Amino acid sequence: MIDDAEWLERIRNGAPDDFAEVIRRHQSRVFAILHRYERDAHKVEDLAQETFVKAWRALGQFDGRAPFEHWLSRIAVRVALDHLRKEKRRQNEIGLPELGEDALDWLRSDDEKSALDGRAAAEILELALRELSPADRVVITMQEIEGRSVKEICAAIGASGVAVRVRAVRARAKLKRALEKLVKL
Amino acid sequence: MNERKWKQLVAAVRNEPAPVPSPEFETTVLRAIRREAPVARPGTLSLFDQLNGWFPRLAWAAVAVIALSLATDWGLTAAGVPGLGDGMTQISAQWLLIPNGF
Repeated sequence: MIDDAEWLERIRNGAPDDFAEVIRRHQSRVFAILHRYERDAHKVEDLAQETFVKAWRALGQFDGRAPFEHWLSRIAVRVALDHLRKEKRRQNEIGLPELGEDALDWLRSDDEKSALDGRAAAEILELALRELSPADRVVITMQEIEGRSVKEICAAIGASGVAVRVRAVRARAKLKRALEKLVKL
Repeated sequence: MNERKWKQLVAAVRNEPAPVPSPEFETTVLRAIRREAPVARPGTLSLFDQLNGWFPRLAWAAVAVIALSLATDWGLTAAGVPGLGDGMTQISAQWLLIPNGF
């Protein structure tokens, strides 16, 4: 099986259609990353398209020192960050959506065995995360949901280790307050 | 929200499946990139890339040249020697705005 490096070499040698194979190999990962920041499937697809087009434009800068997958993931995170910044401005104008019944029931329940499905959980987290700045949201999502290391977060958002740690502590406290607020709804 | 509920929330979010790309996703991306310029190979930099690489140094060099010119002009004026402005006025008067010229 041909690896990423070989495919990229073919593309650089003038076979742009071979980029289709790169898309096929990495689209699931890109969609998974973007889905953490946007719940609308159509918007996720638009953002994924933007990610691959940006990767295509920057392909000349990819030097192969890190795996292509990591490099592409960083582009996806930056696309998500830009998207969150735009959405934040829009949300300030239109206000917050309401939680569904399942999500509200779970939030109010003290029963340890009370079940929570992925959709309701994502609704709750989405609403609480809206209280955070886009950069805080990316840091907390990468650290808490995706389980990424500080080093990986630094590379993705272009910040120092200290800045990421400080932001993570601050964001976690803010998120906790936002979730407490939702419980009281 | 206690730690147990937080962990339950995170686990549920992690398990939520991401949307699946539509069948025409790949074609749409390829159509978009065909409209783009061809990929540059690493190491083959365009003139703009090279200028971009030189940018901070070129900007400082330009500032240094401007500062040097102003200092020279100020120094010459202070010493009573006609400054750059006077020189330019003279040249204009002698060569460009000749009395019987156009």
